[in-house]
Amino acid sequence: MPLRPARVGRVGVIGHPVAKTAVVAAAVTPGPSPVAKTAVVAAAVTPGRRRRRI
Amino acid sequence: MTQTSLDQLGPVDYVVVEFPVGQSNFTGEMADELVALTAAGTIRVIDILILTKDADGSVEATELSDVENLGPLQQLEAELAELLAEEDVVNLAAAMEPGSTAGVLIWENLWAAPFAAAARRSGGQLIADGRIPIQAIIAAIEADDDELIEGA
Repeated sequence: MPLRPARVGRVGVIGHPVAKTAVVAAAVTPGPSPVAKTAVVAAAVTPGRRRRRI
Repeated sequence: MTQTSLDQLGPVDYVVVEFPVGQSNFTGEMADELVALTAAGTIRVIDILILTKDADGSVEATELSDVENLGPLQQLEAELAELLAEEDVVNLAAAMEPGSTAGVLIWENLWAAPFAAAARRSGGQLIADGRIPIQAIIAAIEADDDELIEGA
């Protein structure tokens, strides 16, 4: 279906071709299960928790 | 748009959510969540387009108003600002795999507008912004863990 006429001939707002984000690629790479990763992130962003200083 | 409303505009973001062939499972859940975010005043939906990319790379854009049975999205469709231009479709579709369908969503972060306006009134200028991928957080934490094990 065609775009509405109002979208044609106007200056865009994105500005450049968008590259597929690395997040998507990383999400499908082998590794710990998504459930395990979710738990890790949840622990990392828990209020009051700070990253360990090695 | 007046100068006053521009001063109060929140950051505007976009996402392109791709649905590879055979992996879409539309239950209406996404629409419900989007409507809920809007109703709560968290975001204001500015534009939505549905893109399809054929195997040969050609792209077709569908207006939300051309979708049958919009359901709860009907109320959002009436408020869309049609910000995206034809050239934006080409740029956004560059990220898509051939044979896939993607939803493009443009929204204003209403929740951030008061803080952004306050920062501007205080003389602050936005010089960088971005998003930290969850995968980057995971990688950083796992690196911490690895160093801890090696140091034990």
